[in-house]
Amino acid sequence: MIKNLLISGLLALKDYIATHILTCLVPAFLLAGAMVTFINRESVLNHLGEKANKIKSFSLASVSSFFLAACSCTVIPVASGLYYSGAGVGVAFIVLWVAPAANILALTYTGSILGGKMVISRIISAIFMAFVVGGVMSFVFGKEKREIAISQSESSKTEIISKSDLILLLLILLSLLLPNYLIRTGSYKYKVLVWAVFTFIMVVYALKVLDKQKMKDWLNETWWFVKIIFPLLLFGVFLVGVIGKVLPENWIRNWLGGNGILPSFLATMIGAISYFATMTEAPFVDTLMKLGMGKGPALALLLTGPGLSLPNWLAIARVFGIKKAIVYVPTIVVLGTLVGWFFGNFIF
Amino acid sequence: MKIQIAGPGCPRCITTEKNVREACAQLNLSADISHLYDVKEFAKLGVMITPAVIVDAKVVISGKVPTVEELKKILSEIK
Repeated sequence: MIKNLLISGLLALKDYIATHILTCLVPAFLLAGAMVTFINRESVLNHLGEKANKIKSFSLASVSSFFLAACSCTVIPVASGLYYSGAGVGVAFIVLWVAPAANILALTYTGSILGGKMVISRIISAIFMAFVVGGVMSFVFGKEKREIAISQSESSKTEIISKSDLILLLLILLSLLLPNYLIRTGSYKYKVLVWAVFTFIMVVYALKVLDKQKMKDWLNETWWFVKIIFPLLLFGVFLVGVIGKVLPENWIRNWLGGNGILPSFLATMIGAISYFATMTEAPFVDTLMKLGMGKGPALALLLTGPGLSLPNWLAIARVFGIKKAIVYVPTIVVLGTLVGWFFGNFIF
Repeated sequence: MKIQIAGPGCPRCITTEKNVREACAQLNLSADISHLYDVKEFAKLGVMITPAVIVDAKVVISGKVPTVEELKKILSEIK
């Protein structure tokens, strides 16, 4: 029995490694490293501290969070930093939600595995949820008094990203997206071919515009992501392989299939409790969908998986106070359930 | 000299601390090195993106793992 389980876990791993390493993972890690190295996140955050009207500051917070590639644990210092340096409580929680739930890295990776429609739905619902969460948090806690730390960073308006770095970032994006979009059917060899062509262009460009130090920083950061996320990813895929074997398919179809409120709620809860590092949610959801999970619940799991986790609840309670966690977590759970149900029934 | 490393305990932050200690050792610098884990403290120090290195209450590195060489340069300039 145990031997069988191990074998199905390993088979899932083998399948995943064979078809994802070159065309999905390599570019995704390079992209993650590039975002950390080339995007000046301090300057992204500087724009958020400014007091503006709610609609403007909420939109700004949602969009900026796309570029703060982070999983739910690393985003907490960013959100608390914003909060204690004077940004609105709504803005802080929008960053806390959107950065893990819908950053560029997770989005492109989702796209290459689950297709464009799922990504667009993920973006739209993440932003919708962000606005509601921001609204709820500022409605409940907006008047609360707090200690504001004096920011010591000279508010230098440095640019967020230089033009040549931006082009490089786009080239990496292309090498991640195109193999999976252009070659939908047919042999995996063609995907590798498309990947190789775009990667070649990207490398030539990188060698041309980057100096040695920046190149080294970029590769170092990339290596960090590989070291941190890759083992989690492999473990996740292995686990899904085992789970797929243990759970009878009709069990998944019964509880997570279709697009009713209950499967959507269950998917949201699975996502809200367990910890998914950025990117690991996509292959997980992909496998569950193959076993019969409905599209609506899949979307809910994609959002709340990386966006929320039990360790994350505790950290939020510790940093922002228990009351805020008590409002934030159920708000996300309710919204996730509704979004899964809505998209499942009316969009997909 | 007082050196603080701000990081919630992630692997990158641990490497940062290691590099800071290494840089100080290579420079023969006797600094008071501490690692802050409390995210609330970070905000008070003006740190948002971790890992960060703070020397005498001034943030010198934020959002990346500094190399030993980089740290040696920064520390010897401050000294």
